[in-house]
Amino acid sequence: MDGVTTVALIDIASGMVVRSAGELDPGFPAAAASVADEARAARLVLGPGLPAGELEEIAVVTGTRLHLAKVLQDKPEEGYLLFVDMDRARVNVALASKQVGQLAPAVLA
Amino acid sequence: MNARSWGPTAGPAGPLGTALADCATAGFSGVLHVIGAPGGTIYFAQGGVAAIETPWSPSAEVMLLRSGRIREPDWEAAYAAAAVARGHMRSELLSRSLIGAGELEAMLRSTLADAMFALAAGFVDTCRAEATTLEHVLALEPAADAAWLVAEARRRMQVLAAFPDPPLGARERVMAVPGALRAATMRGGGRDEILALADGRRTARDLAFALGHGLYTTLLTIARMRAEGLLAPAAQGAAEPDPRTYRQASPSADAGAVSALPRRHKERLPQPQRSGDPNSRPLPAVLRLLRPRAEGH
Repeated sequence: MDGVTTVALIDIASGMVVRSAGELDPGFPAAAASVADEARAARLVLGPGLPAGELEEIAVVTGTRLHLAKVLQDKPEEGYLLFVDMDRARVNVALASKQVGQLAPAVLA
Repeated sequence: MNARSWGPTAGPAGPLGTALADCATAGFSGVLHVIGAPGGTIYFAQGGVAAIETPWSPSAEVMLLRSGRIREPDWEAAYAAAAVARGHMRSELLSRSLIGAGELEAMLRSTLADAMFALAAGFVDTCRAEATTLEHVLALEPAADAAWLVAEARRRMQVLAAFPDPPLGARERVMAVPGALRAATMRGGGRDEILALADGRRTARDLAFALGHGLYTTLLTIARMRAEGLLAPAAQGAAEPDPRTYRQASPSADAGAVSALPRRHKERLPQPQRSGDPNSRPLPAVLRLLRPRAEGH
């Protein structure tokens, strides 16, 4: 995908970077743990049984970056996030989300 | 390097860090015996860490079966086939489509990191390397970088140390604070199970094995719930939870949860399912919580 600078597989339960590729700065493990915390907190807020539906994706948009974290499994306290860091000037947010969603299942296959 | 020992040293995890670095640098293949508490065995393949066994961290087998990711009959069939063919369990699991290659690798890396955390968070007296061929049921291929595992273990200890209360040890017993289930506004995410099982007799390690979660994940959840006033160390005089609290909180789901808590016994893997609809059977709440949640995957 054009505009992608970093891809990482993050364990939601522990916040650990399981695998990664691309440009990683020394603070990335802490950032990854923070993303995992967001996913866990979102699931807790959605409540037991997730009446609003399963958490599918977290998107963070800044002036220059687009961070997409796609949930790869949907068990509470389990599963992984496919985290993709992109250059916002080079991607369309909606299209990027769709493309990452299409690629995501192959990661754990 | 055929055989080598590292004696006691000062500092966290004793000689473990040096032993790991030396084995990695030498491209060592064999086992590194870690003597201490909990102690364990680290399996090296050409300088990388392929597997770790320690009594404080659930193995990949425990994680896969307890979580219900793989059903026990399927696991046993794959194990038997691998044994007969003198093949690898990994290949057998993949060929039977019980799990994807990517998911298995991710899961094995997660269990490795958890086991390394358990070793590093404990006490290490000495380490002894012994060159041998790699024989392990589920080894990670390609093996993980030892330095990455050490860095991840350090990060995990820093996260736990950042909580206001001193971090709990793996062997410390925890219990639900009376009224915790009713007071818990944030449910799910494994918190209900921990509240139901934290009876003052189980340690953090016991909870990790019972739920099929990693030791670190369990300690992290306990630390969060402790900060919210839902759990307390049993040794600090917290009273036994009042069974009425659970009944009042959720009469349908939690009736008899505490009164039906089993005596502490050797951990057992989930038993084969009986015929009929499992949801219709009158199981105690705790046993229902332990039933695999992802059958059919």
